[in-house]
Amino acid sequence: MAKVKYLVAFVLMLVIGANMLFASDTQIQMTVWNRYTYVKSGDEVTEDQFSLARGYLRLNHNFSSAIFGRFNVDFFSDEDGLDGAGLKIKYAYLDFKKLIPIPDAVFTAGLMKKYFGTIYDWSYITVEKDPSDLYKVCSSTDYGLGISGLIPGGLGEYALALYNGEGYKKTGSDVNKYPAFTGNVRVTPLPGITVGGSAIIANKVGTSEPYDKMTAYAGVGRFVFGPIDIWAEYLMKNYTEESKTSCETKSAGFMVMPILKLFPNFELVFRYDQWDPNTDQDNDKKNMWIAGLNYYCASNVILQLNYENISYESSKSEDTKKIYAQLNWTFKTPKF
Amino acid sequence: MKKILVLLMLFVFISSSAFAFKWPWAKKDEGTLTITGSTTVLPIAQKCAEVYMDKHSDANISVRGGGSSVGIAALLDGTVQIADASRSIKTKELKAAREKGINPVGNVVAKDGIAVVVHPSNGISEITIPQIEAIYTGEISNWKDLGGVPGPIVVISRDNSSGTYEVFNALALGGGKVREDAVVLASNNAVAQTVSQTPSSIGYVGLGYLSDAVKALKVGGVMPSNATVNAGSYKLARPLYMYTNGNPKGLAKQYLDFIWSAEGQSIVEDLGFVPLR
Repeated sequence: MAKVKYLVAFVLMLVIGANMLFASDTQIQMTVWNRYTYVKSGDEVTEDQFSLARGYLRLNHNFSSAIFGRFNVDFFSDEDGLDGAGLKIKYAYLDFKKLIPIPDAVFTAGLMKKYFGTIYDWSYITVEKDPSDLYKVCSSTDYGLGISGLIPGGLGEYALALYNGEGYKKTGSDVNKYPAFTGNVRVTPLPGITVGGSAIIANKVGTSEPYDKMTAYAGVGRFVFGPIDIWAEYLMKNYTEESKTSCETKSAGFMVMPILKLFPNFELVFRYDQWDPNTDQDNDKKNMWIAGLNYYCASNVILQLNYENISYESSKSEDTKKIYAQLNWTFKTPKF
Repeated sequence: MKKILVLLMLFVFISSSAFAFKWPWAKKDEGTLTITGSTTVLPIAQKCAEVYMDKHSDANISVRGGGSSVGIAALLDGTVQIADASRSIKTKELKAAREKGINPVGNVVAKDGIAVVVHPSNGISEITIPQIEAIYTGEISNWKDLGGVPGPIVVISRDNSSGTYEVFNALALGGGKVREDAVVLASNNAVAQTVSQTPSSIGYVGLGYLSDAVKALKVGGVMPSNATVNAGSYKLARPLYMYTNGNPKGLAKQYLDFIWSAEGQSIVEDLGFVPLR
């Protein structure tokens, strides 16, 4: 019932927004992540391959100065797929810039970013995923509706959104009838100092073994001074499982990522993560550290080299070492 | 494992060229100043740089155009010390700058009016802001609708990285979208030249680009001029900025002090812009 109300409101907004439609322009963008991956778990090499980790084909379209649309498909060859490649829809949304009478506020509808922690502005400074994505705290995009905007004076940003809750990879019968709510705020009180927080509240997540309730929180900090750029994030996720009465699981972890810009097109990256999948259980923590080099060969061409070391408190899991080499390149057409 | 060694060698080889660059946080050469941005502010920046360098032989000031957005982006990347802009910085740009530890300060160096221009042979001499909006959004496409000689209007506009476009779009079009068949040009000079050669055209340029080759129209009954811009009676007017990271220091401050001096403001006026005093 809740979703019906939101859907009616969405349709009404679309009808109003449609009146703003006239002249338009389109832009095509392609981003490709060519990757080499070497993984050694204990004494065994489990991966040694070149792949297309991701390939984004993106269409941006301005219907008017007030309506912007984006459609983005994600190609990949590093997961099992027919004919050596897979395909996912990553973005499919419309931004309405003048529906809300607040300066710099945007109403978004469709398959859109999830405004949580660092996941929505993660720019792959390390080859490894954003912590929220990596530790399955939340997905990077989901189907829903949202309002986002900028705080006057360049002081920050905010977002409120309603999603399916299961993420962009789940559709049809894998989506339950309970929406998930997300709130996010980022503030830059002084140049170079950014702090923020996000929250997700969902009454149920999943369909096969649904959680009764899931809440997730993120705290984000960033400090920039000269060539030094330090990111920090703290994550928490709590959920109770329907199938196990009163069984609550709490997960928590953090990331610290200092970046040192050595030259205009060369930077050193170090990242340390700690993730505890169950804070009430001993010896289950996972530690990861990454050392990386990024070389910006040209505008929109980045060569990345990362060494990743993952260690586990539990003796049941083998420590893992990974080497990534990646070429990340982007090109886009002029607007036509 | 061989693959790893080959990749490592390849990475070192390709990235070794990075070491040709200077440390970004090393003390900048105090005799060098790099300026990029608005094509409207470009003549002021260029002329003032020339005169300043004539007086101070040890100073090296490099000035380029590209548009206000390009200038502000360069300031955010730390590749220039001054970003010329014919519009104020947007909230989105300001947020991005602050996150990167940059504090953009807008130093107003002059004022400018945006003149709506037609070919000198055009009988029209006055236009209203709603009429400008109607022409540029495609609602009006014939001169007869404005009381002129019947004939299609050739609409000339600026590219959307231009501060002149942004200000014109905000002040005259209310944020509306320019018609699809508009001729989009990359500089004030190009607009003035094209209008001077196209009898049925309409365009818009900064006051500094007015000449006998084009005819400026009264907007809302007011002719664009220094006096009407300063008095606030001419509505298509704006300040022109030179953005710096924090308050200007060193050569940037000396250069801006020169622009703000009587001599600098005289150059501003000679170029057709509105001086600050």
